[in-house]
Amino acid sequence: MNDRPLREPTFLILTALAQGPQHGYGIMTDVERMSDGRVRLRPGTLYAALDRVVADGLVEADREEVVNGRLRRYYRLTPPGSGRLAAEVDRLRQNASVAARRLRLGAQQTGGPA
Amino acid sequence: MSTASGLEDRYRRLLRCYPAWYRRQHEEEILGVLMTAARPGQRRPGAREFADLLWSALKIRARTVLRGAGSQPWAGAVTQFALVLPLLMVVLRVTELCVRGAQYGFGSPADILIGAYGEPGAYTRSFQLNPFQVALSGNVTDALTAGPLPWLALAVLVGLGLRRAAAALAACVPLAFLAIALTNDYTLAGGPRTDGILYACALESLALLASAGTAGGWQALRWRPAVLLAAGTTALGVAVNGGFWRLFPVPTAVQRARRLRLLGPGQIPHGFLDRLLGTGPGGLGDWLLAQGTLVALIVVVIVVMLVSSPVNRRVLILLAVPFALESVIYACSLVNPPLPAAVGNAIATLPLLVILLAAIAVSRWPERGAGAGPTGRPTTPDG
Repeated sequence: MNDRPLREPTFLILTALAQGPQHGYGIMTDVERMSDGRVRLRPGTLYAALDRVVADGLVEADREEVVNGRLRRYYRLTPPGSGRLAAEVDRLRQNASVAARRLRLGAQQTGGPA
Repeated sequence: MSTASGLEDRYRRLLRCYPAWYRRQHEEEILGVLMTAARPGQRRPGAREFADLLWSALKIRARTVLRGAGSQPWAGAVTQFALVLPLLMVVLRVTELCVRGAQYGFGSPADILIGAYGEPGAYTRSFQLNPFQVALSGNVTDALTAGPLPWLALAVLVGLGLRRAAAALAACVPLAFLAIALTNDYTLAGGPRTDGILYACALESLALLASAGTAGGWQALRWRPAVLLAAGTTALGVAVNGGFWRLFPVPTAVQRARRLRLLGPGQIPHGFLDRLLGTGPGGLGDWLLAQGTLVALIVVVIVVMLVSSPVNRRVLILLAVPFALESVIYACSLVNPPLPAAVGNAIATLPLLVILLAAIAVSRWPERGAGAGPTGRPTTPDG
């Protein structure tokens, strides 16, 4: 398995699918909501990223439905995708805790706010 | 036309930038998202959407070419190119050796090693006529570009499925040549058949790294087109080396007639048959035969057979790339007044460096991406 850190859009796409299958537009809006509007995926970028994670076996197509004459394809996280996301969460958590600890120590040494 | 259908048409036109296979899979889906996300009353795609779709289409196209996607022809073509190029170069070298050797003598193994086909004693002579350092560097660069050994070694490594070792060797050949050339003040632009071979080596390296299909060695080779290509390459090799006709001089129709005393000397000067068929000494037909026109026709037939499949068509395009680059570099060398040697060298080196940098970039991509389609299935070259 590839152990490189996930890029933020990929991380957010996997996170959007962690709770259950979603279609492309659902993922786009969910990512924007989760990142407080900071990450706004456009359709081209979204589908290029989806194509990559599907090729990597992290995500797979779940089902298709037609709503108002438009095709909607739902995607879901695969077991390797869940594992990859969990590993990334651990990595980020570990990095964040190290950073927080060092900030606290630095603040104690300089007498500034922790 | 309603606003929505006008916008949809414009989006559809924009989506044509994507490869056809990608559109088949995702066009309706992306269109659905684009239309759902459109503002009420929106008539045309926004600038950011436009740039985003265009950039993504470019990325998908680049990925399709270099890493493959599904059963796409480019992916299959890159795999086949990586397998077939060393094979063809070996065939070409063997043909050159056979045709020129049969006409002028084969020479020693050292002569063959430096690609001096039909020039017996060239290796020894180079040391007699030049200072040792000059002769040595000349012979080494000749062995790298004109000799059969690098391509033979590449064909063996590729055949055994040792993809990374083959890619490393293919990258080392042009780099070694460059190192020797630049330390010995060689002029790179316009060297006979040198630049094309160097570009071919670098492209081989890139194709091997970009294509996981070559990991299985010869098993991944599509033999029928490969054999046809090898036959075409043999024919081309024969043609450019003077043709078989010099080996087996066939008397013309008139000469045969004269020999059989059907025609007296001077009865029909050069003969109407000669004129009709274009044969006879100095006739156009003889010249064409000597230049291997018949052989070239065989090549054309083979090429026509090959271009009948999308993969084969793309393999031919890839095979033409190094030699098209060489032609451009050669054309640069013909500029009058001539370009300074340093500029010529820089122009000749640039494509090489770009290809090798691309190979390095591809080698750093995750292994499993190569040759896997969007569904994660291994690539199966079609056509």
